[in-house]
Amino acid sequence: MSRVVALAGRPNTGKTTLFNALTGLRQRTANFAGCTVEKASGSMTSAGRDFEVVDLPGTFSLLPQTEDEHVAFRFLSECAEAGEDLLVLCVAEASNLENDLVLPAGLKAAGYPVALVVNMIDEARLNGLKLDEIELSGRMGMPLACVSARTGEGLDRIDGLLNRKPLRADLSEAMDFRHVSKKKLHVLQDAAVETARGAASASVIWPHGAVLPTLSRSIRIDRVLMHPVLGPVILAATMFLLFQALFTGARPLMDFLSGALGAAAVALRARLPDGALASLLCDGALPGVSAVVVFVPQIAILFTMIGFLEQSGYLPRAGAMVDRALRPFGLDGRVFIPFLSSFACAIPGIMAARTIPNEKRRIVTILLSPLMTCSARIPVYTLLITAFVPAAFRPWGFDGQGVVMGAMYVLGIFMALLLALALKFTSLHELHPAPATVLPPYRVPSPRELARYVWARCWHFLSRAGQIIFTLSLVLWALAAFPRDAARLAPIEAELAAAKAAGSAEAVTAPIAGRLAAARIEGSILGMTGRRIEPVFRPLGWDWRVSVASLSALAAREVFVGTLGTIYALGGESNASDGLVKALQDAREPDGSRRYGLATAASLLVFFAIALQCMSTIVTVRRETGSWKIAALQFVFLFGLAYALSFAAYRLTLRL
Amino acid sequence: MTLESVALGLPVRVSGFSGMGESDKTRLTGLGLRPGVTVTKILKTPLRDPIECLVGTQLLAVEARLLAQIRVETA
Repeated sequence: MSRVVALAGRPNTGKTTLFNALTGLRQRTANFAGCTVEKASGSMTSAGRDFEVVDLPGTFSLLPQTEDEHVAFRFLSECAEAGEDLLVLCVAEASNLENDLVLPAGLKAAGYPVALVVNMIDEARLNGLKLDEIELSGRMGMPLACVSARTGEGLDRIDGLLNRKPLRADLSEAMDFRHVSKKKLHVLQDAAVETARGAASASVIWPHGAVLPTLSRSIRIDRVLMHPVLGPVILAATMFLLFQALFTGARPLMDFLSGALGAAAVALRARLPDGALASLLCDGALPGVSAVVVFVPQIAILFTMIGFLEQSGYLPRAGAMVDRALRPFGLDGRVFIPFLSSFACAIPGIMAARTIPNEKRRIVTILLSPLMTCSARIPVYTLLITAFVPAAFRPWGFDGQGVVMGAMYVLGIFMALLLALALKFTSLHELHPAPATVLPPYRVPSPRELARYVWARCWHFLSRAGQIIFTLSLVLWALAAFPRDAARLAPIEAELAAAKAAGSAEAVTAPIAGRLAAARIEGSILGMTGRRIEPVFRPLGWDWRVSVASLSALAAREVFVGTLGTIYALGGESNASDGLVKALQDAREPDGSRRYGLATAASLLVFFAIALQCMSTIVTVRRETGSWKIAALQFVFLFGLAYALSFAAYRLTLRL
Repeated sequence: MTLESVALGLPVRVSGFSGMGESDKTRLTGLGLRPGVTVTKILKTPLRDPIECLVGTQLLAVEARLLAQIRVETA
């Protein structure tokens, strides 16, 4: 049985960087037993021995208040109860030892085998700190290693910590945090504070001067970034830069990917004999893959910005700046992280709400987080904005399509604040708690850690959406291809065959091919279902194709794009290389009028901005709130609100 | 005196809390703002709340309302 190494420590001590350095690519993500807190674990080998490394959630003290902190202590207690061969590797920041040594001191006093990793030793050198390792180890009563997880300095010394005797830890006297009284925890905490204070004071030699250089630098930067006037301007500019980068910066790569996959579909069709296999691959699978892959550049830019803000130390400061502004809405600065995470994906955003200790405020945050424009909406918005917002639209000299995309983000935020205000008059309202937030020193993000973070998030997006979309692309292809009404199709097929045999130009054969494809879809299960539900969505300006695509987006919002791609590829109104954008722009009714216009796009944009169209999010809400009722009420309410506002948007746009 | 009345940039020592709820006190002491530690108010955030404070060897953003509940003495 391998030894379990639990990485514990306060947030911002570099635990995750150390975890990545120890485990490399041998990582997996699951949930801690009995809850939805994410558990990152990995494996490593040292001196011929296997170790299971678990990255525990950050804990500020021995008095857990949030769900994450409770989970960390519960995990340790469960290991002790199960008799695991456990070693707690506590990570402390070298420049903040007086606070970071409290947890290891307390855990040791509680009977757990603890070793100490003093991280960011490079930063401590910059601060002019000198650390007496032997004194510190003696005072704390545990082995230690001084490292820099970011640069790799000293990591080889961790092998010594992992392989120290005894070969197996004795946890028979370890405190069971699940059943200990608060009074006992307070006594433990107070004793740990004294131990930490004494150890830090005896083993750290401080430089001359009142404030550490890294803190001085952070304060100087804060005087600019949190200036009463400059601060909000810089924050707003940062967010605006993100939105412009999502459109303008990613476009060349998106165009390349779209073109390459479209060309691949055309080339593959030329090599395969006509039939179901060629249709399956070229009209079902490849368009479905393209619909997801083509948006990876935008997702990568989004996660790069969020990762940069987080790792640089700016993110908690941004949250502190907006705290006061959110209070009139019954919210506080702690929603900033869940809301900002929800811009990437509502699922981690909803889970990030666990940092909010008050249950009612946590539920409110969970209810509102899906209104933030998540990355899954970007493919839908991009498609509609590119297809229907004219490229010549350049308000105040800015890219008009980027402005509209920015406006969609603003709409989500506006709706969230409006609903938060409304929730103040319900039983979910609670008086503002008294928060205090740690502002970590500003640091230059590590390119390697940032790249790892961006890759992990992109892969999560691809694998989560990709599997669903790919499967649904195949299902939709089948629904749109079968049954084949031979009697209806035969005359058109004969007409097309005759035109080709006569050597007619494409201008003659293409419309016939289009009529054939349309007839195939109309006779299929997809077409019949779409026409049945069309009356429900006709007031919003949607036809059966858009209605079906919107319903399929319940699986994942991006599926909307894949579904339309499949429908139009099969429809023969555009082939894969033309792109779905052109297909929507060129789509015509039988009388020659445009099938879709700005009004339909407006109603779709508003609908997608508000409706809770993601089964994964609904399931996560249920898990985090413990209530199907809350999840169901949220879904029904947001669907109704989306329908009403979408109707209004359609009607108003028609009048313009 | 309380931390609320202290000028920006003046280091003081925390001597205790008065009128603060148990949950808030637990959170603040867990974060490192506890009796005996040196605190300096650094700046007010754009909406004048929270207040950035240097607490020992770390920076904390503390809600303005709490400052009146933190008793301090000259360092």
